[in-house]
Amino acid sequence: MSSTHTRAEVQDYLNRMRTALADLPDVEISEIMDDAGGHVVEVAEELGEDFSAEALTARLGTPEVYARELRVAAGYPPANQAVAAVGPKPVFAARFAFWALVAGTAAAFGMGIGGRNGFPLALLVAVFVVWAIVLLFRKPELVGQVGELPETIALRSALEQAEQGPLGKTIDYLKSLQPAWWLARAGLIAIAGLILDGVGVIFLLTLGMAALALLSGPRAKVDRRWLWVSLPAGAFAAGVLLFIIGSVIPNSRYDSGYATSSYAPATPSLPSNVYVFDKDGKALTDVYLYDEEGRPLDSSFYGCDGNGDGSRYRDDNRYPKPKVDYDGRGHCREIGGVPFAVSIPSVTGLPPAPTGSGDPSSSVTPPSSVSSAPSTVPASK
Amino acid sequence: MDTSQLLKGVLDLAVLAVLRKEDGYGYDVLRRLRAGGLDEVGDASVYGTLRRLYNAGLLTSYVVPSEEGPHRKYYSLNEPGRERLAESGRTWRSFAHTLDDLLGVVA
Repeated sequence: MSSTHTRAEVQDYLNRMRTALADLPDVEISEIMDDAGGHVVEVAEELGEDFSAEALTARLGTPEVYARELRVAAGYPPANQAVAAVGPKPVFAARFAFWALVAGTAAAFGMGIGGRNGFPLALLVAVFVVWAIVLLFRKPELVGQVGELPETIALRSALEQAEQGPLGKTIDYLKSLQPAWWLARAGLIAIAGLILDGVGVIFLLTLGMAALALLSGPRAKVDRRWLWVSLPAGAFAAGVLLFIIGSVIPNSRYDSGYATSSYAPATPSLPSNVYVFDKDGKALTDVYLYDEEGRPLDSSFYGCDGNGDGSRYRDDNRYPKPKVDYDGRGHCREIGGVPFAVSIPSVTGLPPAPTGSGDPSSSVTPPSSVSSAPSTVPASK
Repeated sequence: MDTSQLLKGVLDLAVLAVLRKEDGYGYDVLRRLRAGGLDEVGDASVYGTLRRLYNAGLLTSYVVPSEEGPHRKYYSLNEPGRERLAESGRTWRSFAHTLDDLLGVVA
């Protein structure tokens, strides 16, 4: 018999063997096929001239028998159980339900704490959670399967260890507060709805959710399916609580900061009057000042009205502002002009500086004498 | 008496025993068992037993490329495997002794 024929028949035997093991984990199948499959090949080679599919079967049994014997010896579950065929599907559903719960709890917490950027993602997660709830209530046995998932077992044993550890008393205490928390979180959910929407549709919706949350707490104690409502509700409420605490504490600080920053551009800090000189030290009058964005630099001015016997506000950006004076009879008078003089240094590139009387050479002498520094002297009275 | 029934209970011990002195791949183990007198041991049972002992952490394995045919996976006893062998060996001796005594009474 040709070696190609041999190989084809051996391959057929191996394929049937693999099919009979198909429900096992992939790793196991590949290990077995490496190991026992090698054995089959070796036995086929030993048969040599006498090889035939029948001879191989006579020596090893049919591939199905071989696989069954191997399963028994290896301690794998028998293949002909109905569970084995549909086995992966409930596990998938259980796993979906478990992770939907985990993701839903995390997303609810994020939403509660005010993470509205992730809203579309949270909505998607919410759809998954609702889907999981529907699955759970349609197939009650799913809860048991979730409980048997390795991740659930790991989580449960971690919680049990925590309860036995140093935090055990704290956890017991927190557990005793649970009924109060169920009430509080229903309130928090309703408050969140109020914050979001005032008294609108969303608020009414959150009222319904609050009621559901209130109901889910005690229910989850006896029916684990309610956990899919209770845990996200609790996480959302905890997030809302943190959000409220967070917005109460740093707000006093934020408020003042916000106030000054919004106030600053409207009224730039300006002295009550501004005097302007050109490069020769000549005083300029009727100058209009603007900031870098073209806004007039108004400063408050309390001038005389037209009749000369009253006064009125006249805020503008014209400088210098006249000096307001009242004579003995209470008549208002506005006095223009510049009350002092400056000397502008002749060296270019240096900022102009007011000079004292010690350097009169380049200073423009005002009607009255210049004292040291930019001191104001009544120009005329 | 059907020895295959007896074999089921002690195949673990037998496989561990033939790996005690020397590592071996599946077919080696099978040959050693047969050479030792366990003619009825099934090929698939030996491979299944090797997988189970390996998964239980009593054996370690390594692959040796083979010139003719597929590469071979060798199994060797590790420390837990040796401990299990010693323990199961004691259990077997005590059991066999008990049965011998019973048979002695009968005979």
